[in-house]
Order: sequence, then C-alpha cells, then structure tokens
Amino acid sequence: MAGPAHQGGYDVVVLGGGVNGAGVARDCAMRGLSVLLLEKRDLACGASGASSGMIHGGIRYMTSDRNVTALASRDAGYIRHIAPHLTFRIPFLLPFASQAEGSRLLDRVTWYATEVYVGTYDLFQPLKGGKPSVRLSADELYRVEPGLRPGLHGAVTLDEWGIDGQRLCLLNALSAADHGADVRTWTEATSLVREQGRVVAVRFRDAVTGEHGEARAGVVVNATGGWSPQFGRSNGFQVPMRPGKGVHLSLDRRHGNYGIICTAVDGRQMFLMPHEMESIIGTTDDDFFGDPDDLDATADEVAYLVDGAASLVPSVREARITRAWWGVRTTLFEYGVEEDDLSRDHRIYDHAGEGSAGLLSFVGGKLASYRAQSEELTDRVAAMLGKATLPCRTHEVPLPGGDEVPSPRELAARHGIAEPVAARIVFRHGSLAREVLRLVDEDPRLKLVLCRDEGILAAEVAWIARHERVRRLQDLRRRCRLALGGCGGLDCARPAAQIVARELDWDADRLRAELSDLLEAGWRERRAVLDGWQLAEEELLRAVHRGLGGL
Amino acid sequence: MAPAPRIECDVLVVGGGMAGATAALAAREAGARVVMARKSPGSTGLSGGAVSVAQDPACMPDAPFAARSGVVESARRIAATRPGHPYGLLRDRLDRLWNAVEFATGQLSSVLAPPTGRNRWLLTPFGHAHPAAACQRTMAAGDLAEVRGTLVVCGFEGHLGWDPGLVASGAVRVEPLGGPRPRAVLLDLFRWEEGAVGTPFDLARLLEAPGAAEEAGKILKRILARGDAAAVLPPVLGIDPAARVPERMSAEAGIPVAEFLSDLPSVPGLRMHRAIEARLAAAGVEVLGGEVRSGAGPDLPAAVGGREVVARSWVLASGRFVGGGIERRGELRESVLGLPVQASEGPFADPSIRFAARAAATLTQADSRAPQALLAAGLRVDGELHPLDAEGRVVHPRVFAAGAVVGGHDPASDGTGMGVAIFTGWLAGRAAAGRGA
Repeated sequence: MAGPAHQGGYDVVVLGGGVNGAGVARDCAMRGLSVLLLEKRDLACGASGASSGMIHGGIRYMTSDRNVTALASRDAGYIRHIAPHLTFRIPFLLPFASQAEGSRLLDRVTWYATEVYVGTYDLFQPLKGGKPSVRLSADELYRVEPGLRPGLHGAVTLDEWGIDGQRLCLLNALSAADHGADVRTWTEATSLVREQGRVVAVRFRDAVTGEHGEARAGVVVNATGGWSPQFGRSNGFQVPMRPGKGVHLSLDRRHGNYGIICTAVDGRQMFLMPHEMESIIGTTDDDFFGDPDDLDATADEVAYLVDGAASLVPSVREARITRAWWGVRTTLFEYGVEEDDLSRDHRIYDHAGEGSAGLLSFVGGKLASYRAQSEELTDRVAAMLGKATLPCRTHEVPLPGGDEVPSPRELAARHGIAEPVAARIVFRHGSLAREVLRLVDEDPRLKLVLCRDEGILAAEVAWIARHERVRRLQDLRRRCRLALGGCGGLDCARPAAQIVARELDWDADRLRAELSDLLEAGWRERRAVLDGWQLAEEELLRAVHRGLGGL
Repeated sequence: MAPAPRIECDVLVVGGGMAGATAALAAREAGARVVMARKSPGSTGLSGGAVSVAQDPACMPDAPFAARSGVVESARRIAATRPGHPYGLLRDRLDRLWNAVEFATGQLSSVLAPPTGRNRWLLTPFGHAHPAAACQRTMAAGDLAEVRGTLVVCGFEGHLGWDPGLVASGAVRVEPLGGPRPRAVLLDLFRWEEGAVGTPFDLARLLEAPGAAEEAGKILKRILARGDAAAVLPPVLGIDPAARVPERMSAEAGIPVAEFLSDLPSVPGLRMHRAIEARLAAAGVEVLGGEVRSGAGPDLPAAVGGREVVARSWVLASGRFVGGGIERRGELRESVLGLPVQASEGPFADPSIRFAARAAATLTQADSRAPQALLAAGLRVDGELHPLDAEGRVVHPRVFAAGAVVGGHDPASDGTGMGVAIFTGWLAGRAAAGRGA
C-alpha cells in the first residue's frame, strides 16, 4: 500500500533490504526521488547480516581485482566518516612458519612476496585511514599473541576495520526513511506487473498483517542478493550469478586481541579475529544451489573452520563455540572457476532485453563498497527516469548517530549506569546514545541490564522498539544482538520480549509467538556446534524455554 | 602437615543434586555410612521450584484438571509409550515410585509442600501452566486446580523483570479446564533505584527485611477486590524459608500468597540447594567438595577434594551436561568413570546404534520442539540401575547410576526430570546400601 504522498506510485521500488538495497534506497531518497523499499524479512537478514563484519579493502583480491581493493579501501574511508561509532580497528597478523620447520627457498620467497604484497596493500591504507604494516620478529610476535602455536618465524601486520554490518544496513534504511522513503520490512514482493515490455508495478504481501498491495514504479531495482535467481525465475527474467555459501563460527569471548590469518586444510586463506564482544572464525566458500531460505551449517563446515583456526591457535579447540551462522554471497557468474577465484566485483544487469524494461538487478560487490555500488546504481536509476536529481552526498552526510561519538565515561556518570554498558550503547547508536539514555532519567526501571554478555540495557530495547522499525522480536537480533551472545537469551530473551511487547502493544499470545520465533532462530544456529560447555548452556536454555516456558 | 586420613565408607555418592541427595539420604536411612562428593551446585540448584514427575501423555489438552490421571498412573503411561525412558526400564517397579516421591519430599519438607498424588498446575513467568507432582511450600497456594474465584497475578510497578499480563495468560488458557479467573495487577513495590535494577536475589533479600513483607502485604490488600481468592507473585518471596515472607504478606493481605515458578536466575533454586545441604548435614552424610578424580570404582581409592575415599558401593548421580556427568568433547562420554554413552531416545533408542561419536547436527532435529537425541543422551543401565558397558555387560555389581546421568530422557524439558532423579536416586541409594527395593 503506497503512502498517501505516493498515490501515483514511486520513482523507484527497491527489492531487498540488504546493504545494497538499503544503500540505494538512501541514495535515491537523498537525491529527491520517491522510494519504496520492500524486504521480505528484516533488514540485513541475508548476506549483509552474515558478512565477516569488516570493511576491509580485501587484500585477498588485490592480485585479481585490484579495482575491487581500491574501491573498497576508499569507501571504507567514507564509511568511517559517516558512521564512525560503528567501526573499530582490527589489527591482523599474517604469521610465517619458521626455518626450523624446514622452510625451503620457496617459503622464503613466499615471505618476501608477502611483505611486498602487504607493502602494496599499504598503498591503499591512507584511503581507509589504516596504519601501515609492520614486520614482527618471532619474539615480537609471541609477545603480542602468546596463543600462537610454537615455531613461527615472525609475521607482518595489516590493519583493517571491523563494523557491525547489520546496523550499517539498518542505518541506511533509517536514513532513507528520514529522507522520505517508505521502508517496509517483512513485506515480500510477490510478483512484477508488466505493460508492453515494461515493468510498471510490484505486487507485495505483508507477512505480519497478511495484507496485499501493489505499488507502481518508474524503475524497479532488484537487490535481493542470493534470492535473485529464484525471484527472477518466477518472474520471467534471469540473473546470472554463482551463489556461494559462507559459514562463520562465533566464540563465546574475545580469543585474543589480534586477527590471525591462517591457512585452511585446502590452502584457502581464512581468519580468526576478535569482533565486538566475541571472536569469529571464517569463512567457508562453497557453491550453493539450494534455497537460501533453507540453509544450515553442516558438521564438516564447522570442522573445517575449527581445524583451520587451530592450525595457528591451538587453544581454539578448547574454546566454546556459541553459534554457526551463514549467508549466501552473490558472486558474479563464471563457469569453470574455483569459488575463491571468482571476482568480487559487481555488475548491474538491465533486463530490458528480456521484456522487462525498467528493471535492474544488482549482483556481486562487497560490504565495504556498498555505498559506491549504491551510487552507481542510483546514477543508472536517475538516468532511466530521465529526472534531474540532487548530487550524491552519501559519502559526506553522516548516517543516523554518526555525527559524533560521545564519551561512554561521561554518559555512564551522567546517567548512573556502568561504563561498559554505556560503551556498547555508544558503539551501536553513536550520538543517539544520548537519546537512548535520556529514557533512564524518565524511567529508572529502564536501567535494568538485560544481557550481561552484550551489555543490553532495558532502555536500549525500548528505544529500538520505538525508533528502529521493529516489527518482530527477532529484529532485535540484528538491532542489538539480542540472544546472540554466550547466554543465547537465557537471561534476556523474556524480559526483552516483555519490553518490546509493551512498546508495540502486543498481547500475550503474540509475545509468546515472537519469543518462540526468536528462540528457534538461535537453536538453528547452535545445532551444529553443541559441544563442551555449550551443550550445558543448551540444557539450561531448553529447561527454561521449552520445559518451563512451554515454548 | 599430615595428610587427612583416608575415609572408608559403605556408599560414595557422586553428585549432590536431587538424585544424589535422594540416594544419599535413602542409603543413610538404610543404615549405610555415606560420603557425597560434589564439585558445585548442579542443575537442581538452578531449578525453578517445581518437582515434575510425570504428566499424562494420553490426556487431551482440553481435558479438565480434575479428569486427569494421577502422577503414578501418568508415569505408567509414559513407560508404556517410551521404552527408552527410565520409567520404561523400571516399569515393573513403578508401584514404588510414590514411595520414592514421598521419601524425597519428606526429607526436604523444610521447603517442599507435601504432594497430593495428582499434579499441581503452577504458572510460569512465560505464561504457561506447568504440572508438578510437588512444589515448594511458597508455591502450593497458586495451584490452578485448587484456586476458586479470582487469582490475582502480580508484577511489580518498579521492576521490569516480570510481566503479570504474560504470566496471567497461562491461566487464561486453562480457565476452561477448571482453573481460576486471573487478574493481572502491578503492585507498587521496588519503585526506587535499588529495587528497580535489582536481581531476583536482591529483591528477595529486600522482602526479608523486618517490616518489608508486611508492607508488601498491605500494598496487595489495597488492590484486592471481591472474589479475589489468592495471589501469585514473582518468585522472590525471600531466600530463607525461616523469613516467612509469603506467610507475613498473607497475614496482612488476608488471602493466600504464593510464588509462581522461576526461570533463571532462580531464588527457589538457591532455596532448594540450601535445603538439601541442611538435610544432608542433619542426616549425617559427609559431603566433600571437589571433583572425583582417579576414581576407579568400588573398593579402590578415589581422590575427592584432597581426601581419599574408599567405598564399597558407588552411586553415580553426576547429572547430565550442566552437572557435568556427561560431557562431549567431540565425542560423548561419561566423565567420572569414562563409561560409554549409549542411551538416548528417538532413532537412537536402539543401543546397537553407536551414536556417541556422531556429529552434533546429526543427533538433533531442525525443529527444536522435536525430541533431541543429543539432549537425551546418557548412560545405559539395566533394571537394577547398573551402568552397562559397550557390550551391554554390567560394569560392576556395586556401581549404580541415578538421575540425569542415565540416558533415554530429556531431563531439561520432558517434564520427568525430577521424577527420574528421585525414583532412580531412591532405588540406587537403597541398592547401594544393600537393601533391595
């Protein structure tokens, strides 16, 4: 259902609430176009929410796709500018094996090449505000990271930026809405309406209310990512793509302060890195031909990742793995090439030749480049509409909360809350942390810390429910990591659900259904990693939610 | 310093939860000298106040409370339909189940209300009505099958921890089955900084203070209306039963006052843990803190917290994953004696299927509500509760297993966990002391 301002339809209807969809919606809206964004689930539910959470230059792609590295590095710098609160430095170590382990000439050539390689990457660092690489001796290496296996010769460092990719996506959608876009989550585009070889409208269905609607569109942008091939098939157009499944593991805490680049059993490069309150092991990359709605991590994927990380950090085997999570990346189509060698470049397909004029599909790309990709798409959209628009300003106008990063210490003192909790709120909300914490002055009950793992305050849940387009409880997984930490929602899920229900006026049955849905999502991510103490945690979760809650 | 002397005893009980406590007390009652080795509070110390034994599996969900079968009959029906369940294994001895329940609840009568033979229906913080053969004394007055008229479901004005509307919805759903009409209210309590951000333990201590429970009772009385028959409150009505918080509130309000069940963190769990400790001490069970290391079984010395213990019989009551009796480090194993884990439910109930080394994902199902083999994994035992080895032979004639370490049931969620703990604990304790059931 179009808003009253758009009875005549929209300039652009964007399909897909990933970072590209949200990014293009923001850019279009800021340039003065009328925009409708449709997302069948929540924002960042697909690959954007399952990325490694880095706005890196992609050193991995430097030899094959140097323009990808350059684009990503420059745009990482822009993201640091428009959302400084949401990013954090991750120094990476790239260790070498020692001569004592029988290194040959080839290995030494490789070290030398690595230094040159990383040195070349340094040329991109000023673009994203990173520090230059440093060569560490074995002594220095073990001093900074004693958990590495013995026998290493040294390392080079490289500097990358971590980010909360889910909130990056959310902030783009919120900004789009601030600029007049209609953003509809949990609303699926069911079909396209064509007239004389043109796509003129999109039909959709709201999954929460069951309501159907139709929106007329000047241009339709298909940014449905891994869902594109399927959506294309049922709507009479083709989106060439090599979808690849990527799995990550989360550990219950930070397993060190440096990212470690390691080699997997098949020679692929992978990593173990600290990220927010946990550590992440990633990533697998395998062709995926199934339904992206029906993904699961498998036992062999978990073993592959643990073995790879343990090759350099043996204690990972003793660590508690709390989740395995996944997404489908949308690499460009090429036949006869290994997954890793596929280009991370992006492409825009115009479907005019398939009787679908006015329809563009976006494929490929990287999280770090989402803004430049969105700019390119918006340029195309504006050209197709033949409309004069305002210039692109997405690289200089801060995202919501990105104008300033307040001091957590001052906020903690002013509002009487713990500083680590204030730090988490500043990280997620930037300057809007002041608004979040103003709630506790009005209502001291909102000082209740719901989750000790993630530092979630009752006030933050209430604020998110009011201001961040929450339609279902599980949306809070992506807004503030509700029930994603080591506790899996043991302490926090029910009280958080109660607060959301109060804000959104849900009755008890709805609350229970939403809670059940939230917990089911957690179970799916834990199934493949139930081992050690995580199994004890599962027993407690099951006792409380299933046994006592009847959920 | 000279090493502490070796302890010789009749029965060594490993584990101090409901199963271990019942076994130790039953063995003690039979005249045995009993030592308990316990490393830390296990899952019983985290329990919510209900002693769930069995719920009639054949009962239609809309059958009135009064029409439902008693606890023992319900256990018999479970035994008939779930052969891998400990009740199935012990089906010929289920006539003694009630003796065991009466024994355990009698031993812990400082916190547990006497059981009636049928399930009480107790509200939970999630808006669910939960059946329990026994429950803490602080909770009995909230039995939905007993309260007539209106049940006042309370939350606290000053604390966001419990939503009385959500809690009351559990009663709304069972009102047509003979339950009371619920009314959700907020009591004007904890409306100051310390109360607003307190943990359940903080709130319980605040209510124990002189005058606090009386004040709470007066606040409750102010909102009472005609027909209000009883009130249930969040499970924070004092940690120490001797503080008599519900009784003091009730005296002021003029109606019975009870707690609903607790999730985590759990004040009733701590209360139960303390009651068990007190009872073990009073009964003369020697409790050693620490893990059992280098334990090889009966007649051989086991190192427990710096002491050496030699026992004629062993009872493994070491729990499941929370307790630490069963662990998985890539593969499932029993942690004290290293016994094979080969009992479960569903497709893995057949002991010929070796599942202990399988990947976690293949031992679970995508729907979390479905039975999960991994969560039901534990020791396989014979009808005398002797653990069995990989070939199905008795490991040792004087080693017994009790409680969640025994496989074939999901103690966390299938509503029989405490019942299995009590029944197997009672049988194993008596057998270990040399008395048959």
